[in-house]
Formats: sequence, C-alpha cells, structure tokens
Amino acid sequence: MDAKKAVDALSAPPRPTATHHNPAGTTSDLSVDEVLLLHSIGWEPADMVFGVAWWSVPWGSWQWRTGEIVEASNAFAGAMEEAAGQLRAECARAGGSGVVGVKVDLRVRAQHIDVSLTGTAIRRTGKKPTGFEFISDLSARDFAVLTRSGWTPLGLATGASFVIAPRRTAKQWAAQQGQNVELPHLTEALYQAREGAMARMQQAGISMHAQGIVDVKMDEGPMGAGGRVMQFVAVGTAVKLAASEHQMIRPEMVVTLNDPVVLFEAASVRGG
Amino acid sequence: MVNTRSLSLERLSLWTVEMALEDGDEVDPGDVEEVAGSRLSSLNKGAWSSALSVSDFASCKEIGMSPVGFVQGCAVMQWAWYISNPYMGAANVLGGGGYAPNATRSGQYSETWRCPHGFVSADHRAYGYNFEQVWVEENWAKGFGLAYDRMMEEATTLGAHGVIGVVDEMRNLAGTGAVEFKINGTAVVVPGAKTPGRPFATFLSGQRLSKLLEAGFTPVSIVAHMSSVQMYGYCVTSYQMSGSGMGNWSGTVGGIGSIDQVGKAQRAARHLVRERIRAQLAGDTLHGAHLEISEHEMGEGAMSIACLMKGTRVRQFNDFAKLPDAEIVLRLA
Repeated sequence: MDAKKAVDALSAPPRPTATHHNPAGTTSDLSVDEVLLLHSIGWEPADMVFGVAWWSVPWGSWQWRTGEIVEASNAFAGAMEEAAGQLRAECARAGGSGVVGVKVDLRVRAQHIDVSLTGTAIRRTGKKPTGFEFISDLSARDFAVLTRSGWTPLGLATGASFVIAPRRTAKQWAAQQGQNVELPHLTEALYQAREGAMARMQQAGISMHAQGIVDVKMDEGPMGAGGRVMQFVAVGTAVKLAASEHQMIRPEMVVTLNDPVVLFEAASVRGG
Repeated sequence: MVNTRSLSLERLSLWTVEMALEDGDEVDPGDVEEVAGSRLSSLNKGAWSSALSVSDFASCKEIGMSPVGFVQGCAVMQWAWYISNPYMGAANVLGGGGYAPNATRSGQYSETWRCPHGFVSADHRAYGYNFEQVWVEENWAKGFGLAYDRMMEEATTLGAHGVIGVVDEMRNLAGTGAVEFKINGTAVVVPGAKTPGRPFATFLSGQRLSKLLEAGFTPVSIVAHMSSVQMYGYCVTSYQMSGSGMGNWSGTVGGIGSIDQVGKAQRAARHLVRERIRAQLAGDTLHGAHLEISEHEMGEGAMSIACLMKGTRVRQFNDFAKLPDAEIVLRLA
C-alpha cells in the first residue's frame, strides 16, 4: 500500500460512508486485524458501549454465618443483569446487533458488588439495523472463528457463589494441629461455592436456549483477610449452532521458524 | 511564589515549566524555536532521529514513509483543583446546608438527590450530588493539548506529513505537586504527497499502520479526553455503600439492590468521555480506543471517577477490499 494516496486523501473532503449509522463518528476499541476479520465475515464496529451497576449487600450478611451468603450471590446476579441490560440498550441505540470483546470488571466488597462491562457494538456491513442479538466476552477474533464454525453467541452466562466455611471446633483444631491432613471445612466450602456458581452459569445458558457455553473463565479462592470466605465466579459466552451443523475449519498446520526457544519446564512433566 | 487561587485557568495553563525556563519566565507555547530550535535545525544537516524500532522503521519505509525526526512536546501543569475550586469544600456543607453546585454550564452533567427521611440529625446526609468536574477536565485537556500541540508544531517545523508511533504519558513530578504531560513520536514525510493542512498523527506505527492503510483508512489525528465526575452520596447511597445505618430499622434500604446514584455517576463519566471524543471526531472513526477508569474514594459514600479515553482518529479513503478468507493455522512450535 502506498502511503501517498492515504495522505493525499487528508486534503480532500471526507467521503460519505454508505453504511454510516452514526454520522457524528463511530468509536471502537478494536484493532485493525479485528476490523478486517469482522469485515471478512460481514460485520463492522458501530460504537463503544458501557454497562455499570453497583449492587448493595445488606449489613450483617457476612456476620455470624456459615454456608452460602445468598445476598452476595444475588447481588452479583442483579448487578450483572442490570449492566448487561444497559449494554443491550446502548447497542440497540448505536444501531448494533451484537457486542463483542466485552471486558468484565468485577469487584466484590463487603457491602457492595460492582460490575462494569465495556465492549464494542457491531453491526452487519451494509445492512439496515437488525436489532439486538447478543453480548459476548469473546474477542472479535474468537467471534470470527466461532461464526465461521457455524455457531452464534447468545449472551453472557454468569454465576457466582460466596460461601463461608464453618469455624473448626477446638477439638478439631487441636486434632489437626501439626498434622498433614485435609481441612475438610475449607474443601467443602470451595466445593459448595464452585457447584453453586457453575450451576447458576449453566442455568443462565439454558434459559437463553443455548447449546453450550464457551470460553468459561473462573475466579476462585479465599476472599479478603479472613480466609474463611470462598468465592467462585464463572463467566462465559452462551452459544448455539446457527448453521445446520458444526462447520469444520480444518486449520493448516505450520511450524514457525522464528519462535523463541521454549525452555524445558519441569511443571509439564509433573503434570502441573 | 505564585498564588494559585488568584490564577485564572488560562494563566495556570501557561504557567508551565520547560527545561530551559528560568524562574519567573513564561514560555510562549507557540514558540518551538526557543526551546527545540537547535535540536530540530540540526536534523536538516544530515542524520534524522526516530523512536521507531528497526522492524517498524523497515515497514514504514515499505509503505512509503521516511522518518525525518523525533518530535516531542511537554507541559507541566499545576493540579490545583483540590485547593482552588469552590466545590471541593462542598463536602463539608452539603449535608447540612443543602449546597447546590450552581455553576452548571450547558451540557454539563449534574444530578441531585434528596433525603426521603425528613429531619433525622444534623449529621444526616440530606442531599446528594453527582456532578461533572469541568475544572478537572479542562486542566487535563489543557495539559494534554499543550503537549500535543507542541509536538505537532515540531513536526510542522520539520515539514513532516505526519507523526507516527506516538507515545503519551502523564505523571506526577515528585515533590512539586505538578503533573507532567509528555508526548512524543516520529515525524515522517511521504515523498510526493500533498502537504495536509496539519500533519496527521497516530499511535500506530510499523505493521499495524501499514495494515490500517491497507484496510483503506488514513490516520487523521490523536484524540484524547478525560472526564471527571464527583459523587457525593445522600443518606440512602451512603447506607447502601456502607451497609449500615438507618436502613436496618427504617426499612428504606437494607435489602439487596442497585445503588442508583453510583451507577449513574459511573455511567455519566463513561458517556461524557465517549461523547466528547465523538465531538472531536467530526464524522470520522475512532480506532483502537484505549479506556482507563480510575476511582478515588474521598470518604464514606463519596468518590471521584475519572475516565480517560484515547485513540487514533481515522478516515476511510478506500473501500475495504474483500480480504481472502483468513487462513486458520495450528502452530506446532
């Protein structure tokens, strides 16, 4: 490509773009590669869209309790739903049909759970707005591969669970001191959190009539300094088959010659 | 020492520190010759300078751009808003006095909330406000704008068609209470091309820039904006954020629910930055937007939210040529 033509174009008046939905200017956080990839499957960016919701967790929810803190799990679900609803509305307003590359920022505080979603709304190139279809945290690249495989995203499927492990009795504590033993109260709390979150995420997928959920990201572990509160958060993109069957994309195998040397990793031998 | 309270914003922005600045002097931001003249004029004598990596350099030559010089701009701004603006003291009077921000301009965001409880105590937060901190935004825009304009002026001095590979940074100058805005890039010429009214500028360089041109877009300029919204929570917001207080006995809060005032402040900050950026686009497209959100808690139930958005404004000059279908590869290395 010759830069001359590009620079000469700066002296000429801007060309009207046929499909410009927003004559005031389009914003997008996609890279050139992503724009080109989207274009190759018939999509283009429409605008950046946002959704933010903070939900309160009532006082006392975390005190003097063990087991799941339902208030926190529900506040997470509520905040997620509210933020996703805003993304949907902003997407439709921008003339987009879907939102890709949604960045999910989640912050869990004792008294509030904060969700911030940021993504780029996209629309079908050269077509009239077709209405809202999906929200996905897949990158534009993954969206392109998914589409070429015959699938379509439906929405974010999410689930969270916060569980407080019981305190050990003095007798249990004394018996476990200095021993190499499992701490079943913590194992159980983690299990309960994991099962709760995953089940909710799957339920979210089912209610969207999804056939599956891809690219599930999980965040788990003890929360805060206390160490007895276990959190488990799962976020993925619910998908369904759009074509009659899965389309094989048959990747071409290549051996790159310019990769840095991969060092031997002991972890790979141990299976870790 | 200069009394910051008596300085107008206009003067504040000119009260900048440059490397060559003597005490009490003022730099004319328009005068590149003074501070950068000898560096720039030596570029005409032979070797050019550039911040491009070797591969970016090679790929820019490939698309017909030649570096002519490393260009830069900086501005040091005094971040005086904590001291000099009338609202910062507002937090003290909001609860009792019902102080309302009155300097709203057209298009400026502000919203108010009122306590539903009636008189409870003198400490009760009877009012809550969200408002756009225009003075913060203006100071940021001035600092960034001055640095950017200075860089672009160096590029113009060099007769460049554009500036590529732009890098910008904002940082505190330790111990001075001041903020430095700096921005630099590599000025390039495109032999045979018309000189645009103002050189173009882009964060991209190398392969990514060449792909942008390949895709039919030409870079126009850097666009950047920072929005700033302050939220001072009324009683309900404050209870919701701290999970304590009256909600437990009055039944007005205490459940799980959306913290309306914070959500609105957060959304306002994002929408403001997007719309201000859109205004800078004038119908063009923002490419590769970068968004940074920072929150600063200023006490219980009060916070300041800043959203910084920046990217390259691009203009389509060619239709997308249909790409060959991307080949999907599985790497064996």
